[in-house]
Parts: sequence; C-alpha cells; structure tokens
Amino acid sequence: MAPKEYAEKHARPSNSFSGCSRIKNYEVLGKLGEGTFGEVHRARSLTTGKIVALKKILMHNEKDGFPITAMREIKLLKLLDHPNILRLEEMATEHHLHTKDKKKRANVYMVTPYMDHDLSGLLENPDVPKFTEPQIKCYMLQLLEGTRYLHEKHIFHRDMKAANLLINNQGILQIADFGLARQSHEDVPVAKGGGGVGGNREYTTLVVTRWYRPPELLLGMKAYTSAIDLWGVGCVFGEMLVGKPILAGDSDSNQLKIIFDLMGTPNDSNMPGWRSLPNSEAFNFPPRTGTLHQRFREFGSSACNLLSCLLNLNYQERWNAIDALQHEYFKSAPYPAKPGEIPTFESSHELDRRKARGQKAGLPPAPKGGTVGMGPNGGWGDANGHHGGNDGYGGGYNNRYNGSRYPPQGGHRNGIPPPPPEAERRPAWRRDDGRPDSRLPPRLPPIDYHDGGRPDRPDGYRSQSREIDRPPMPRNRQGGPNVDTYIPSYGGEGGRRDDRRRRDDRDDRGGERRHHDRERERLEYEDRSRSGRTRSRSHSPARDRDRIRDREPMDREREREREREVYRR
Amino acid sequence: MSHLFNPLVTAEQLYQRRTHNDLPVELQDRIRFDTARLTHSAGILLRLPQDITAQANVLLFRYWTVDNLRDHEFNDASAATIYLTAKISASPRSLRSVANVYKYLLTADHDSSSTKSAPHSYESHARGYYFTEGEYQSLRGRLLTLEGQILNALGFNTHVALPHPLAITYLQTLDIFSPSIPKHAATEISQRTVQYLNTALMSPQMLYLTHQPPSLATAAIYLAAKEVGVTLPDVEWWEVFDCEREELGFLVMAMGSLDAIARGYQERDGAKGMITRMAIDNENRRSSLETDNTTPRV
Repeated sequence: MAPKEYAEKHARPSNSFSGCSRIKNYEVLGKLGEGTFGEVHRARSLTTGKIVALKKILMHNEKDGFPITAMREIKLLKLLDHPNILRLEEMATEHHLHTKDKKKRANVYMVTPYMDHDLSGLLENPDVPKFTEPQIKCYMLQLLEGTRYLHEKHIFHRDMKAANLLINNQGILQIADFGLARQSHEDVPVAKGGGGVGGNREYTTLVVTRWYRPPELLLGMKAYTSAIDLWGVGCVFGEMLVGKPILAGDSDSNQLKIIFDLMGTPNDSNMPGWRSLPNSEAFNFPPRTGTLHQRFREFGSSACNLLSCLLNLNYQERWNAIDALQHEYFKSAPYPAKPGEIPTFESSHELDRRKARGQKAGLPPAPKGGTVGMGPNGGWGDANGHHGGNDGYGGGYNNRYNGSRYPPQGGHRNGIPPPPPEAERRPAWRRDDGRPDSRLPPRLPPIDYHDGGRPDRPDGYRSQSREIDRPPMPRNRQGGPNVDTYIPSYGGEGGRRDDRRRRDDRDDRGGERRHHDRERERLEYEDRSRSGRTRSRSHSPARDRDRIRDREPMDREREREREREVYRR
Repeated sequence: MSHLFNPLVTAEQLYQRRTHNDLPVELQDRIRFDTARLTHSAGILLRLPQDITAQANVLLFRYWTVDNLRDHEFNDASAATIYLTAKISASPRSLRSVANVYKYLLTADHDSSSTKSAPHSYESHARGYYFTEGEYQSLRGRLLTLEGQILNALGFNTHVALPHPLAITYLQTLDIFSPSIPKHAATEISQRTVQYLNTALMSPQMLYLTHQPPSLATAAIYLAAKEVGVTLPDVEWWEVFDCEREELGFLVMAMGSLDAIARGYQERDGAKGMITRMAIDNENRRSSLETDNTTPRV
C-alpha cells in the first residue's frame, strides 16, 4: 500500500484535536467497579448509543499536574488500533459546576468499549463451564494476534496475564492495561525468528506480575526482548487448559523453582548464557528434566508442544507470536471456534456483590504520596541533560500514579484490615476453592529504578540518581535463593503503615537506603501477594460469603499496591 | 498506528480562530511567531532535545486553534506546553526549571543586544530573575491549570510526528550523500533542510498544522537544494514523497517568506521583547479612553 493511501486510510479525523467530549455525552448506567482502578462506570454514549466503560483518572496529588503515567498510557493507547487491543475511544471530562474553585479540577475519564469479563474472572466463575478446546483455541488466536500487533509496533506490554485480558459476550478477546507498556528499540520479531536477540538496550526488570514473569526476568536480565510477553501468553494458555494459574510461585525464588520443575533446570543448551545473568549465582538446582509433558499430557500432544514452545526457557528460541499463530495446534481438530460461536455468560461485577451486602460505596480520599518528582529547587538543568533538583523525575510519581489503573483510594478506609480467618491462611497456591482474588501474585517490587534507574531511557538520560552507585537488583542478592524478598504474611499487618511512611521518606541515601528498599520490596510483595486481580470489570460472582469476606481487605491491599505502583519503564 | 502523520487543523478551525477574534490578524501572527520563538529559546536553555521543543511548538499552535489566543498569557501557554511535552518525553524537566528559564527569558533587558556591551552588575541581573515564593506558586498554579486546559483541548492527543527524520531519509533516497556530490554540499544541504524545518515551526501560518510531515520535509529539501545549488532529479521527484506540486509550491513560498517576516518584526520593534496579553489589554484600555469609546473592546 502506498504511504499516502495508508495515511488516508488511517488518518484520524482531521478535527481530532477538537477537544475532549463532555461527560454529559454519556448516560451513566451504574458503577461497575470501584477501588481496583478508580471508579469505573458503565455508560451509554448519547451520540452513538454504544455501551462503554468510563474509567476515572484520579487526580489527587496535583503537585506536578496531570499524572505522567496516565498520560503516557493514554498516548500509547491512542497510537494503537487493533481488534484485539482494548481501544481508547476518547477522553471525556466532567467539569464542576462552580469552576470558581481552582482547587477543584475537572474529572477526566478514559472511555473504552464495555467488556463483559476478564479472562481471570471468567475462569474463576463457577457458572462458566470449563473452556472447551475450540474456545481455548479461539481465545489463543486472538491473544496471539493482539500480541503480534503490539510487537510489530515495537511495544512491549510487560504485564501479560489473564486478568488483563478482557472478553466480551461476542467472544472477542482484547488485551488491556498498558500501564507498564513501553515502546522498545528492538527489531520486531520475524517469522521463524524466535524471541529475538535483544541486547540493544536495557530495560527495567521490574515488570510483569510474578506468576507470568519469564525466567530471564527473574534472573535479572535487563536487555530483554518481546519474548517476555510470549512467556506470559504461554502461562495464560496453560491457565486456560487447566482452569487456574499454572505457575503460581509464592516468592521469586519459588517462582524460578516451579518454572524449572515444569521446564527442567537451566543448562547451557536449553538456556544458553543463563549463568551470566545477574541473579543466577544464587541458584543451584540439581539437574532435572521438566514435567510439562506429563503434566499436560491429557490435553494432547500439540497443545503440549505449543505450550513448551511458548514456555521455552531460552528466550531466543521461544516462539514469537507470528510463528505461534501458525502452530499445528490451531490447524488440527477440534478447530478453533469463531468468536460468535462461544456461548455467552452473564457478567457480574464486584460492586454488585458489595451492594448486595449493603456496603457503602463511598471511598475516602487517598493518602498523599511522598516526595514529588522534582527536587525542591528545580534548577536549570545541568550539563548532562538532567534537570536540576535532587530527585529523578520518575521517582516522584511512584506514589502518585493514580491513573485509571492504580487508584490508591480506599487504602485506609477501615484502618488496618483484619487478619483473614485462620482457615484462610493457607498459602495462596494451595487454595482449591476456586480462585479468590488473593491468588494473584504480587506485581513487582518497585525499587526506584524508574527514576534514576530508568535504565532504558532512550536518550541515555539518567537523573543524578542514587541508583547509579547502588548495586543492581537488590532483590535476591543477599543470602541467595533462600532469602526472598517475599515474606508471606497473612496475619497482622500492624507494622505496615510505619513502613509505608518510611517508604515515603525518600531523601535518605546511602547505607540506610538499601535497607529501606529491601524493606519496601518485601512489603510490596506482601501487599501484592494478597492483592488480587487488577481488574474488577468482570469478576466472577463470589461463590460464598466467606470468599467475599476474604476479599475485602484485599481490595484495600490491592489499592494500596496500586498506590505504590511505580512507573517503571 | 499513524506514527508518521499528524492530525491537521480544519479549515473551519482556522477560519474561526482568525476571524472571530478581537485581535487583528497581524497581531495574532505576531503573537504566534513571538511565542514560538520564546518556546524555542526556552527549549535551548532547558537543554531539551530539539524534537521535544519542536513538538511543544506544534502542540501550542494546536491548542490555540481550539481555545482562544487570549484565554491565557502567551508566555504562560508556552511554558505550560513545554512542560507538558517534556513531561511525556524521555527528558522531563521540573516545573521549577521551566519557571526559572521563563523568568530569565522574560526579564526585559536580557534580550536586547545592547546589554551585551553595557556593563551590568550580576547582582542587578540576578535580582531581576529572582522568584519570590508567592510568585512561583502563582505561576505554578497557572501552568498546571493551563496544562489541564491544553490536554482537554487536544483531547489528550499529544502525539506529534515531526518531518526531521523523514527529511534525512528523503535526502538519502535522493542520493545526496553519494560520492558524486561534494561532501560539504551534502552537509550544507542537510543542515539547511533542518534549519528550514525548524524555522517553519515558528511560521504564523502554522505550517505544521496544515501540512503533513512528508510535505514539509519535501519542501525544506527543495529550498535547501536550490540554495546550495545542488541539482535534484529533473523529474517530479516530490511525488515519490507524497507531495503534490501545488502543495510543494505553497510550502516553498511559505517557508521561503518566513525570513522576510522575521526581519520585518525585528525591524519594527526588535528590542521590545515578547508581546504580552497584559500589554495588549493595557493598550486597548488606553486607546478606548483616548477615543472615549465606551464600548468594551474585550
């Protein structure tokens, strides 16, 4: 296609800087969820009649203006257009009636199509029968199509997981949640090209939810490739086959262990160069072969084969999306279903359940974040191209990202959440009562790479950062594999607040810092281990009240997690 | 993903802004030119990569086609766009830095070339650039409000495609860097091309809002080659780059005339510095008093 023709076909309406639409253009039909990512409303567009989801971007800490992470996510989403990527239809604003009050800013909403379920919720939903093979194939094809598109556009999603895959009642699957995504500088994957060579540039390793995190990331590789997303796709595939997450590690070292249990321990032939990865010294597993083929035997050889291609320890040989789409699994009977052929299920939302229990929906404002991006004195920028000021830019956004994904609010509503009942204190991965929210693993530990670190700044920009003289990857370094950053704590959470406060105390440097970082990380893990899915959009109905009870503190935890979520690109 | 293309201004938007406005068209042009130049200077002092500054210029002009030029002080709008553009880029700058740079640039006696020879004590200079906390806070408030206004006006569409990288590719395609062309000529032609593209950012005709990057790149190359005296292919080579003859002609005229426009401004009131909204308001008030004109101008 000639460039001009292409441009004409893809040109956005020429009036596309004509401003946001007003919230008045939408008839709000009710709240879908709250807490997990701010408020989400289902609404009908008065102009098109279409049902949409409105995600409110929270603006609390306005010290540096509009939240940067939300802004970057919006910018990225606006450049994407694919049937299997959640579309950002537009931005809508809601103005306060009395705009005289300067403090009160307009509310900003992201408008996306309304999707009935997320994959995680769908798998968990007791009313939804186990996925059939044609259904799994159908979802997988769409997931791979979306992934292929992203990678072709030089985008790493970096948070591939079932909870981020939205599905509607037309059987369409869409990849959502681009809060961790970034544009890469690698060559795009090519057919038969595997996962690419990488090494062009280093990125932060603080990405991808643990259960979906590939071994090279767990081992601290920074010059990773788009293959990290394919590992996640493999995990999701396994999850659809089995009905629950297949690699649910309770710590980083445990995660590696169960990966190696499944895929075999790494050696120079199945994972060349693994010994040179930063965290590898810490690991010493007796050589074993993987159990994948036994574990997934019942799903047939081609399913097993595809899974092993996606979960290849060697990222260079891990299949890319282009090749995976051509896998024999999709070309053998039973053939993939068409999206329209998949039965529909009634969606349900978290809030409905809460309402049923007569809980108040209102949430208190979030606590203010700690330091803010810039140093207090600003400055003129120095010769190296950093701005003056003693804090990196990104760092300040840690606590403040409050975009659609990470609404901090609600974190302290009832003070410290009560410890879950004794019976609930089993390790998450052993629970067999369906999949409560708590079962999703922690996201990653936000060390402060994102600011000084931001190892992947395209222009090599580094703020004068404490990171520079800090050894890389504090996690797992000390004490080897047995000491993990994650310490399960299902019980009292009394100390946490204090630690949180310390976390905000970011000015201290040097010796103490590292301690804090570790401490923070640990907390991060704790929080996240209990925090659940990141989407409430289509959670399956809870099976019983106990589960719901179990969940309440989690919502708060999750919110707190979000609040702390860093912007780590 | 239309990385390479920009949303363009509609004819209606252009018409509305230019005619339904109480400012005379010449004055609007002047404001656009001055503000773009101010943004450019600020970008240099903030040590921002040129592509960020260029994007800021484009975003500001886009904003002004949606909201009224007079809604905010011009230099505030410039500062807010550069802050916003840097923020979403890989080289963010702090509000404080932005504030300092603008304060410096707007301090009247800095720009006029006469001060360079006149011995000025550093102290008196420094006092001029000093921000009181109150001043800073009020500026910060204004800039953050403006940031919201700009995002809202642009529908959060902050992507700007620039013609600069395209121009380099086009030059390569045209074999400018081949051994048959002397090296200095090749260097000069690429420099001139980039210079034309950067200057076009300040054009009051808002060329980056009316034309797509491929056309801008083509026109800049055309002008540069002509100036340096490098002969380009005899055929209508611009068509290869999706630029039609008529469009090329328009852009060449527009880019070529910018020099004269800038000189004109310089001659008329070179030392006056940046036009401010306040000055315009004061002027209006004064003239309405003088003529005893009771109808409000604003």
